[in-house]
Amino acid sequence: MIHSRRRFLSALATTGLGGLAGCLGGSSDNGTENPSNVSETLPEDFQIDLGVPCTETGGSIDLSGGTRPKEIEGARGSPETTYEAGEIPLRETQLYLGHDLKTLVENHLSGGVAHDGIPSIDQPKFVAGGDVTMPPCERVFGVAIDGDVRAYPQRILVGHEVVNDVVGGEPVAITYCPLTGTAQGFYRGGVTFGVSGQLVNSNLIMWDREFDVRWPQLAATAIEVGGERPTSRGERFVGRSLAEFRVIWTTWDRWSRKHPDTLVLSEDTGFARNYNRDPYGSYTPVSGHYALETNRRPKLPLVTAPEGQEKRVVIGARTSEGAIAFDKWSLLKESVLNGSIGSTPIVAVADKELATGYVYSNPTDAEVRGTDEGYAVDGVSGPPEKLPLDEILGFEAMWFAWHGYYPDTNRVGL
Amino acid sequence: MSKPTERRKENRSDTPNPSESPIRWLHDIVRRTRVAIQRALGRRDGQFTFLAVTVGYLVTYLWAIRHLTFSGTGGFDVFVVENPAALALRQRSAFLFETVARIEVGSVVYLLGPVNILIGLCLAALVGVTLAVSIVSWRAPAACRIGAGAGASASIPGLISGFACCGPQLIVVIGLQASAGLIAAMQWMVPLAVVLLLGTLFWVGSRVDPQPM
Repeated sequence: MIHSRRRFLSALATTGLGGLAGCLGGSSDNGTENPSNVSETLPEDFQIDLGVPCTETGGSIDLSGGTRPKEIEGARGSPETTYEAGEIPLRETQLYLGHDLKTLVENHLSGGVAHDGIPSIDQPKFVAGGDVTMPPCERVFGVAIDGDVRAYPQRILVGHEVVNDVVGGEPVAITYCPLTGTAQGFYRGGVTFGVSGQLVNSNLIMWDREFDVRWPQLAATAIEVGGERPTSRGERFVGRSLAEFRVIWTTWDRWSRKHPDTLVLSEDTGFARNYNRDPYGSYTPVSGHYALETNRRPKLPLVTAPEGQEKRVVIGARTSEGAIAFDKWSLLKESVLNGSIGSTPIVAVADKELATGYVYSNPTDAEVRGTDEGYAVDGVSGPPEKLPLDEILGFEAMWFAWHGYYPDTNRVGL
Repeated sequence: MSKPTERRKENRSDTPNPSESPIRWLHDIVRRTRVAIQRALGRRDGQFTFLAVTVGYLVTYLWAIRHLTFSGTGGFDVFVVENPAALALRQRSAFLFETVARIEVGSVVYLLGPVNILIGLCLAALVGVTLAVSIVSWRAPAACRIGAGAGASASIPGLISGFACCGPQLIVVIGLQASAGLIAAMQWMVPLAVVLLLGTLFWVGSRVDPQPM
């Protein structure tokens, strides 16, 4: 590989240090209104996670070089679980869908790119977090599996949408859909995932390269078999749901403070891309598709969401029985929100360190309240990510996307 | 010297009838178009128009598909992928292929995609030659031996089709703020532009008197 590089670390360091101030900038400076009707605003350092501008872009960021994770001490980048070729880890029960499979199939359409036209990263390289200079408000997607901690910068994933990686010895796919604001992780077993070029509800439809089964990211459930492989081989997956794990949507400042030993995905992806330019707009400051203005309404939703509310960030969770969405702004403000899926009480708690939230099934309707250490469930304390309750995978999504997939979703704070 | 209207009548009488002998008719149009191009590019204003429009269009095309941006921060940087020959032919969307190198010079960042350059050059040359013929025929109809009005009006579809191929590319690349119908239609924009440009060129050519001046 030919790669000569002369970057501008000193300039970046300056902008990086100044970035925090930019992150803390109020929304009114950029004309963006709070995406909520709550009258009381959050502490300012939460606002960037809700689509409110970070005014310091930080300019060009150097994430060049790097090595394969199996060559990095402490990173378990070689598969430790044995999967047969074509084996895909699945949930025992299908996740709830707000539509039947036929409706999802009938409503998928071309995103304007070819099959694998948005190329996944299949040979990811990483650099040590301590060697990286990024503005604190730079958006990253964090993954921690069995002590193996990685950060995937949004600026890189926006051009690839899927990273086929091995984290904690487990083959996984880290996925990101810019149009729906969803970052999700899937166990991929003996296959790799790619970008089919199709969308449903504006959401990425992945394909696995073994069977060409089509898996809408947000639903995590196979809806059909494509034409790239013999159809009969993949039919058994239709209606089945992928095994998932949590991907944390946060900022570089928060992730690196919590995980100073994190690895960071390198720009050395094998593709010639301009990772300093987001084709959809910008999170820092917020613009383009990510902007909340009504003239930037999302296109191609399955079900239209109320105008002006489409891009509010929710933390959504679904089980086999139903779906629930917690308004993220309200959750960060209130710390604990209660709802239900069917007759099962569900509780969401805020993680103010990473500015995200976790969702738990709370069948006994135990009292959950904030403490100095985190939260107490009927008097037993624990951090927000490890409460003594059964966790239901939750993740951030734009409200229009969640509402489109699950029109009958329960909603809290919305 | 005969009047232009008389000459056009003479030309029409010389032109083979497309319903009687379509091959001869097509051959005649191609011949006339070739003559028009030769005459236009034989003049300084024609050459200037061709070069300026071709270069301008190519730059606009590369900007439209976001291969040429002003997102660098200074200095010089070159990155080439490991297997450029294989990657260059990998299609990303309709008429958009993978890039194999990233070049930064100052604030300019250029992503090199060989096939995209080829497509852009072909379109740019078509727009350039069409406008060169149009401009020359408008400025000096006698030089091309066609009517000034015909030459000027020929530039309109040339410009429109040239723009049409760039505009939708933005949406193809970005993949948002477009209706489903528009996304479906976009894959036809480049071939449509080529057809319109060739049609314009041949339309102008069909009005050229092929006889030596």
